[in-house]
Amino acid sequence: MADSYLGVRLDVLRRSQNPDGGWSYYTGKRSWLEPTFYGALVLHGDPAADRAWSLIKSWQQPDGSWPPTAGAAISGWGAALCLTMAQIRGEIDGTFLKGLAYLLKTAGTESEIWRRALAKFGLVDPGRNLSLKGWPWKQGTSSWVEPTAHTLIALKKAYTALPAPEVAERIRSGQALLLDVRCKDGGWNYGSAWTLGEDQRSYPETTALALLGLQGRAEAAGSVDLAKGWLQETPSSLARAWITIALRLHGIGVPNTNSPLKGSGSPDLMVVALEALGAPEGNYRLLKTEAAG
Amino acid sequence: MKISRRDFIPLAGAGLMAGYAGWEGLRSRRNAPSGPSPVAVIKATSYSEDLAQRMLRGVRECGLDVRGLNVLLKPNLVEFDPNTSINTDVSVVAAAYEVFKSLGAADVMIGEGPGHRRDTYSLVEMARYREISKFDDLFVDLNRDDVSAVEKFADRAEMYFPNTALRADLVVSLAKMKTHHWAGATLSMKNFFGLVPGSVYGWPKNELHHIGIPESIVELNRIFRRSFGIVDGIVGMEGNGPIQGTPKPAGVLVMGSDLPAVDATCCRIMGINPAKIEYLRMASDGNLGNVEESRIEQRGEKISEVRTNFALIDSFRGLRLT
Repeated sequence: MADSYLGVRLDVLRRSQNPDGGWSYYTGKRSWLEPTFYGALVLHGDPAADRAWSLIKSWQQPDGSWPPTAGAAISGWGAALCLTMAQIRGEIDGTFLKGLAYLLKTAGTESEIWRRALAKFGLVDPGRNLSLKGWPWKQGTSSWVEPTAHTLIALKKAYTALPAPEVAERIRSGQALLLDVRCKDGGWNYGSAWTLGEDQRSYPETTALALLGLQGRAEAAGSVDLAKGWLQETPSSLARAWITIALRLHGIGVPNTNSPLKGSGSPDLMVVALEALGAPEGNYRLLKTEAAG
Repeated sequence: MKISRRDFIPLAGAGLMAGYAGWEGLRSRRNAPSGPSPVAVIKATSYSEDLAQRMLRGVRECGLDVRGLNVLLKPNLVEFDPNTSINTDVSVVAAAYEVFKSLGAADVMIGEGPGHRRDTYSLVEMARYREISKFDDLFVDLNRDDVSAVEKFADRAEMYFPNTALRADLVVSLAKMKTHHWAGATLSMKNFFGLVPGSVYGWPKNELHHIGIPESIVELNRIFRRSFGIVDGIVGMEGNGPIQGTPKPAGVLVMGSDLPAVDATCCRIMGINPAKIEYLRMASDGNLGNVEESRIEQRGEKISEVRTNFALIDSFRGLRLT
């Protein structure tokens, strides 16, 4: 096990956990929410994961959001990750409810009423349906594919425990937004499919993330084929890891890999965690969601 | 008195991020250069030439002294497409490393926080940056570095920046000479967008678009004022830049300590009127640097000898320098 694809990565993660229980993106740095979430997901059930969750759970801000790292006064997308983790751990408590309320009240600024009015009267051409609501990286900015996909995972899990109409509506709208901004090539860019009259090309990592948000949706099928092709072609370890996770969650077989750790070429601990998560015996199933909304 | 970014006080207990001590004082003493700003234009027609020698000549023409300084080289690494010229070429980055080491810098690091792609190491691999000797020891992913808050950024109360950039005594903007479909041109000043951490603000760094692109460019250059600009115009990009444009050989390296002056000179080389680039106008009005030709002391090649008009998208036709 220790020498296996997964074992090598688990060993790296265990050795690189910070004394406070979190993980940094790179060894020797401060703990950040995002790599800590993935480290905890990979090691779910292990005391190391409990310490990681205790740390980031304590970071919740008064508005229900989470900062990207301790003390940064930013209401960021990490709330989606923390809500997902709370549900995986079965902690439907005050922290969870505050976080859920935050996500339900947060939307990309492009869907504000005055922007929709400008588009309706033809004064601007946003190239997308502004009535659909996604989620931003940071409160007060526009919605993007990645934070929207992460929030859809959190809300779909929440809907199972708390089937409220407002949760269902945000899931419906968020999924519709992802489908609305899909690029002509069948994948996803970071945001819009179209800018200044030019079609944008899609990227493997954002396509994989959108597929995670669209689990259970038949419309995702064509994009799954595109992602399968990218798995062989992309030079990005991060993109390969996300595609592997997305394909497995869509029930697509992914060839086992025996590539050594150094083969990934990245010292980024989050990439290491995602590779471990997507291993055949990895914890990718924890991100599984049912169709909802 | 010399105030270094090292003066900022990192974490002070309880995981709280410290502000950038003395920041307001630093801002207030940053006035425009009292005299004309030297900007060197050095011919370089190919990436296989001895770029270090040419760059060294330009840096000396500008009178830059880096002895004992901790230098951060900040290339423009955005996206990779083998069919065009998006990024600062690896040979320019390698030459800059050699030049600043040879000039006696105490330490020279390379740092970038790509604005679009999440996988920084995949980008540095594709752009061949890892061919630079000991690159992994020199490189800092500015998107995922530890951060500290700096008070006041445009209308924001604070903004977070990578500690590596805040601690540097000199940030060298190793930019690419490109047109830009929102800003008109992206050069040494706009290149500082890569100093904003994606781990805090996301990919892309949408916060800057909400603040305003020209406003953000100017604010970044106020904060990272101890800087030097070197623009890779050996092969730039014209048309729908900064990513989807087409390669445009201009055959020059343009450099200087006054970044607005460097960018204004680049604009003139590209056939763009710098007075019509909003962030340059704001930089000039805000005493951040010299933009008027009469306030720039041109060294090396004359602009008229290297000018080559970059194609402009329709909405920017009015920027053309007559």
